[in-house]
Amino acid sequence: MAIATTMVILAVIPLIVSVVSWFSVDRFAKFITIAAGVLSFVLAVILIPAVSKDGSASAGAFLFVDSLSMVFLIPISFLYAATSIFTAGYLHRPSSNVGAEYNKHFYAGINLFCWAMIVALMVNGLALVWVAVEVTTVVSALLVAIDGTDGATEAAWKYLLLASLGLGIALIATIFIYYAGSHVFGSSYSFSFTNLLAGSSKFPRQVVRLSFVLSVIGYGTKVGFFPVHTWLPDAHSEAPTPVSALLSGSLLSVSFYAILRFFQVAEQSVGKAFPRDVLLAFGLASLFIAALYLISQRDIKRLLAYSSIEHMGILAIGMSFAAPIAIFGVLLHVMSHALAKGGAFFGAGSLVRKFQTKDMARIRGGIGLLPLTGPMFMLSVLALSAMPPFGIFRSEFLIVMGGLQSQSDIAAVTLVVLVTLAFLGITYLATYTLIGPTTGTARNLTVGEPSYFIAAAAALCLLGLIVLGTHPPGELVTLINHAAMELEV
Amino acid sequence: MQAPAPSSFADISDVIAIFVLLTEFAMFRAPLLRSQLKLYAVQSLLVTVLAGFLATSHHISELYLLGAASFLLKVLAVPYVLTRFLERTEMSLVTGPSLGAASMTLIAIATSAFGFFTMDATKVGSTVLPTTALAISIAIVLVAFLLAIMRSDVVSQAIGFLSLENGVSIASLVVASGLPLIIDVAFLFDLLVAAVVFGLLMKAHHVRAKTLSTANLDRLKG
Amino acid sequence: MGNLNLSPVVVQIIQVLTILLGAPLVSGTISNISARLQGRRGPRVLQPYYDLIKLFQKETLAPEDSSFVFLLAPMVAFVCYLTVPLLIPVLTTFGLPLGYMGDILGGGFILALAGFSVALAGTETGAPYAQLGSSRAMTFGALIEPTVLMVVFAAGIITSTDLPYAMAATVRSSASEILRPAHVLAALAFFMVVLTDTGRIPVESHSGTLEFGMIDEGRTLEHSGPPFALLKWGSAMKQLILYTILIDVFVAPWGLASNTLLSSVMLAVLALLAKAIVLGVIFAVIDNSFSKLRLFKITEFLAAAFLLGTLSVLIFYLGGG
Repeated sequence: MAIATTMVILAVIPLIVSVVSWFSVDRFAKFITIAAGVLSFVLAVILIPAVSKDGSASAGAFLFVDSLSMVFLIPISFLYAATSIFTAGYLHRPSSNVGAEYNKHFYAGINLFCWAMIVALMVNGLALVWVAVEVTTVVSALLVAIDGTDGATEAAWKYLLLASLGLGIALIATIFIYYAGSHVFGSSYSFSFTNLLAGSSKFPRQVVRLSFVLSVIGYGTKVGFFPVHTWLPDAHSEAPTPVSALLSGSLLSVSFYAILRFFQVAEQSVGKAFPRDVLLAFGLASLFIAALYLISQRDIKRLLAYSSIEHMGILAIGMSFAAPIAIFGVLLHVMSHALAKGGAFFGAGSLVRKFQTKDMARIRGGIGLLPLTGPMFMLSVLALSAMPPFGIFRSEFLIVMGGLQSQSDIAAVTLVVLVTLAFLGITYLATYTLIGPTTGTARNLTVGEPSYFIAAAAALCLLGLIVLGTHPPGELVTLINHAAMELEV
Repeated sequence: MQAPAPSSFADISDVIAIFVLLTEFAMFRAPLLRSQLKLYAVQSLLVTVLAGFLATSHHISELYLLGAASFLLKVLAVPYVLTRFLERTEMSLVTGPSLGAASMTLIAIATSAFGFFTMDATKVGSTVLPTTALAISIAIVLVAFLLAIMRSDVVSQAIGFLSLENGVSIASLVVASGLPLIIDVAFLFDLLVAAVVFGLLMKAHHVRAKTLSTANLDRLKG
Repeated sequence: MGNLNLSPVVVQIIQVLTILLGAPLVSGTISNISARLQGRRGPRVLQPYYDLIKLFQKETLAPEDSSFVFLLAPMVAFVCYLTVPLLIPVLTTFGLPLGYMGDILGGGFILALAGFSVALAGTETGAPYAQLGSSRAMTFGALIEPTVLMVVFAAGIITSTDLPYAMAATVRSSASEILRPAHVLAALAFFMVVLTDTGRIPVESHSGTLEFGMIDEGRTLEHSGPPFALLKWGSAMKQLILYTILIDVFVAPWGLASNTLLSSVMLAVLALLAKAIVLGVIFAVIDNSFSKLRLFKITEFLAAAFLLGTLSVLIFYLGGG
């Protein structure tokens, strides 16, 4: 199959499936959603060798992937597949009064959301990335609000407003980059990545600096950088669990990808120091705030949301280390975080379904009541806290090593201290919910899994994490290496 | 000795940009939500006029198409969609801005002055439009932020985002008038989708809270 | 006869007379047109003159406890209004002998003195409505002052002088001067100042009889006879003076006499009155198309005027002015 055809299929399948789900019946929607998720992952994997060989691949003027976008495309399509499996279990609630209409809309929304994210990674040019990211915002805001509760409505509104305002800033950043380019290419030119990067060493520096800072603030709103992270815990905790998993594992990374595209231009134009310093400042602040909030959480999904802020902070700090190994670590971290956060949310979703509450003070003894997802939630949390043999251990280790190599000792040490603090918070709280005697009404709960789909989804994520942590496939390592080289000049 | 006046072309585009800024100020103060929507339509119309003016004076035929698209979407479609949502809520008056007239005006002036002088300092120039228009567009963006932050009702906040985009439109006319048309049109359609979703969530909020005020949106914290 | 060359002093006198005698005509025309817009026939155009004649024939009454200020104030105000036309370009493009006596701020101060003395007379009376009017007039006067200053600054930095004549000459010099953003904004701000200072909708209803809504009108409720005539006349002159500044300094300084020939001076008199009446029609239309603001909303109106004035100065410094 030609590469261009593969790309086009990957970029339209979720959209088609979304439309079909909306108009079809409940069961069929479930089936095609899972099929589309798995197919997307397979297609993304098929693209790896071609991209590794030629460095990039494009289809028409608008679709384009290089190693960097592939590094994000792989985990996001994987999480798409895993989430569609999880959704099948999540929507299987015998006692629920929500009907088939809701389920159809839910499947359509999930597909559309994943479509927007996949497209954001595949379009060619900063402006189109912006358009796609804005689409992810509006689609995911509707998904956050889909349950129609007071909390969901509030969270969706805050999310939509803050993210849109942030994207407004990102749009200004995009326009300024275009302006910077017009000094080299003339007033009307192609805004594609390759074209832009070819001339970016000659861009006016002041404009690029301004633009980079604006892009970090703007897209940073969606990444969840402090101080523009405030929507994130609300949206993650109030959204339906599949949506939380996608928000946390995929959407934040997509926005981070947009920042990396600006980073590439900025690095070539104004040198290494400036963009790194900006990312370091945002990364440290986010990590610090997240570590503090992680200790005092009661809501299990908010806990995972703050953990996302923590990991996004780690990504930013990792990018600030001027060592290839740290960049490699960051890209590996994007992948492992997507899987770990997916697994953790799936486990948390299972716990919430079992105990009918998100309050961790009332979740006790989960490991006994949930024979499969209980232990898997434990493992995902350990993976999130960078325990070996999971992928995050390897990536964080590489990041810290890069920090020490690049003489950023203080930042590296701070990173380790804050991550340890976060580790204490999240592990303590998660252990508390899983182990310990069941109390109150929870004693009447029966042992058993709510749905095997949920367990399967969580297991997939854990499996991926172990692969990334112990023996990442050679093709993948090559791909990440290529992507790291794209980010290093 | 008196300061030389800029060319008439620069004058006219600056004046249009300034009127966009003034509509932004007016939205900031407008007590009726309906009048905010009308002001938004007027503002979008001014942006369209600026695009058309630029197209005529610089013979950039793409900008005519952009102007037409922006007229259809921003002047007609988006206000229409939001007005429909507002009609169903049957609420027109908001709880009022949280600050007095004088403080709000002073804050708005200070904000736009900040925008002016920062943009002046960055020395961003343009061949198509005067740099002043760029500074004004940044001031518009900043006041739009104020609108979204300081007004406590969902309509104002949505309008804040939409008018922010108008400010960015002017900035893009100034510094990126060569931006491929397809991208501009994509922006506009994005805006329409966003407006629909804003409207949906406004409605959802109104159904739950029986008000358009955001005063009770403070349950989630921590 | 037509090419008789007048001495500048004579022109100066004609200038003052134009304001003095033209003011009631402009007021009369505005109320006539305003009435027609409302579907009424309205008073005659010359009615203000008859009113003044009638009032001058009446006896003067003063409240029991009032001091000499009560009767002196109308005269002070009237003299002030006679002085200001010396300083502004009413008929000529060039400064007349006393034209450089004071700058644009000087003119402002003299107008403020007039307003102050009328307000003082209002408080003398002890009558509640007159005092209410006085205190309101002073309050809003203080609020409009920053706007006036900003407008003056804008005009000043554009022309690098503080003379109204220079401003008018700059505006006349090219079309792009009229369009420059700083100028447009300053003119708009000044337009709002004129609306406020002449007691027009949306700030005050000009012809109302409802004392609670009164600001400027309220101050003179206790006056009668010749002093009241002076006050009414003064208020008409103030209106025409403000119109003249708006027209001849900011908006349309064309049709002024560039020499002292009798014919061109006479033409300038007619042009000024015609322009003032056109402007008056605009105000009458505004009067009839908007409603009066609540008293506490007036500050917002004034804040908007201030905003325009400030933006004007800012834009200028930004280099786009």
